[in-house]
Amino acid sequence: MKQIKTITMAGAALAASTAAHAWELDLGNNQKIDFHGFASQGFIASTDYNYLGKSTDGSFQFTEAGINASYSPFNRTRITVQGFAFDTGKIGNMEPFLDYASIEYTFNDYVGIRAGRVRKPGGIYNHIQDLDLARTAILLPQGVYDARWRDFSTSIDGGVLFGTIPLGKGGSLSYELFAGLVTLSDDGGVAHWIVDNSNNKFAGFGQPVSVGGQLWWNTPIEGLRAGAYTGYMDDFTFNLITPVSPVGPFGPINAYAAADAHVLLQQYSLEYTWKKWTFQAEYFTYEYSGNNTINVLSGTTPIQPTSVSPSTTQPDAWYAGAAYRFNDWFEVGSYYTEHYADVHQRSGSPNASQKDLALSFRFDPKPWWILKLEGHYIRGTSLLEDTANNPQADRDGRGWFLFAAKTTFSF
Amino acid sequence: MKLGKLTALMAGALLVLPCLPSLALDGVVIVNDGVATANLDANALKDIYTGKTMYWPGGQAITIVVAGDKADAALEAASGMNASAFKTHWQRLAFSGRGQQPKRADDVAAALAAVAASKGAIAIVPAGTEPAGVKKLDVN
Repeated sequence: MKQIKTITMAGAALAASTAAHAWELDLGNNQKIDFHGFASQGFIASTDYNYLGKSTDGSFQFTEAGINASYSPFNRTRITVQGFAFDTGKIGNMEPFLDYASIEYTFNDYVGIRAGRVRKPGGIYNHIQDLDLARTAILLPQGVYDARWRDFSTSIDGGVLFGTIPLGKGGSLSYELFAGLVTLSDDGGVAHWIVDNSNNKFAGFGQPVSVGGQLWWNTPIEGLRAGAYTGYMDDFTFNLITPVSPVGPFGPINAYAAADAHVLLQQYSLEYTWKKWTFQAEYFTYEYSGNNTINVLSGTTPIQPTSVSPSTTQPDAWYAGAAYRFNDWFEVGSYYTEHYADVHQRSGSPNASQKDLALSFRFDPKPWWILKLEGHYIRGTSLLEDTANNPQADRDGRGWFLFAAKTTFSF
Repeated sequence: MKLGKLTALMAGALLVLPCLPSLALDGVVIVNDGVATANLDANALKDIYTGKTMYWPGGQAITIVVAGDKADAALEAASGMNASAFKTHWQRLAFSGRGQQPKRADDVAAALAAVAASKGAIAIVPAGTEPAGVKKLDVN
């Protein structure tokens, strides 16, 4: 908590002192490095269930902070770097890491290349899913943009090919094609989700390869764009250890599970900005498919034949929402979203789905300071991912409420 | 909702929504003296203000300077976005490593000074502003 307060206060002081202007480091000869940054501190409280932290008690573990630098050393060339830290319940813990660090060369409007650690595209918000100041809502629809899964979804070590192709009277087509390696955290959201509701111990990820692309058709209708994204992750591997017995013929008995899978992701988006309105709708799904190999050892000696079993899962989610900006300092938005843990079983237990109606109020008292208040009415618990604090037996499908508040400082 | 229904909804929206005329640019486009370009058409100006074009033809990086709130209407005409949407759009690009945020000047005089001092800089200032120390671009 002390760390969170320190970061937020530092962000506020920094933003206020710079009054929304970037910091600039003048290198002479018209060469400058631009610095920008932000710090967000949130609060979540909920009835009935703990979500994104210990929210039934009220949780301040809802923080993000980032600082970036941008520099153009040569014509058509830009270097950008961003450090980032976040805390969402058990995930993140404000441990700073390199969010992106890339060099970009733009040949012309049609094609450019960015290499290094880069942000992956994915619908309207994946590039910026942790950037509170770039949207009306505090919580994005979590079935599409899970705040805990950012190590899975946001950055790769590789490259992006990007550009915009004019289509004459048909508008234009923007594209981003990417390929690279994903670094998953053994203490990240995906790892926590895998071992949730079990006594498995997480024993490490491999480093999957991720390829894919995002297309945006910027239609001839001013403000209207439609997008399609697909991504493929290969060599998605991880290991689990399950203690079976402390005593065995050759030592303690443990089950060692190794998963080897691929993941196919798809997302379809529509966004329309008209006057002071913004309308958005997106659909997202991924299909995980692979094999689990289990070896049971007593000490280092196998005591059962190796078993191999297939494992597949396909969740999906969609949302539709609108926001209206009344003036420079006040905006209201709302969305409705549904998430299904398995597209083939959309009904059943409260864990099968989560449906969420959100209403958000955004205030911009200063260009460098944002305040937000938000209410959610939720039915279902498929996204809780925290069985220790939400016993399965307690989940009875009743509706529940979540309140969130957040403030962001930026420069 | 099934994917088919959502696709139909999106397609329906495309057919129903009216084509809206662009706003007329009620301002003067100024650039740093070192920019070789003498004129732009409205589409090229929009590409600059939406981040699709980030470099001048010679390769110099484009730096957008926003003149406080004195030219919001012209900024909207040029970019197709109101001032808050414009700000959010560029924050999205900058904080994801895909662009450089526009520089914000406190007023028109500060914008003129910033454009004069920065290679590759561009700004829209209110009509009637004397472009001292900078070059005026014709927008077709």
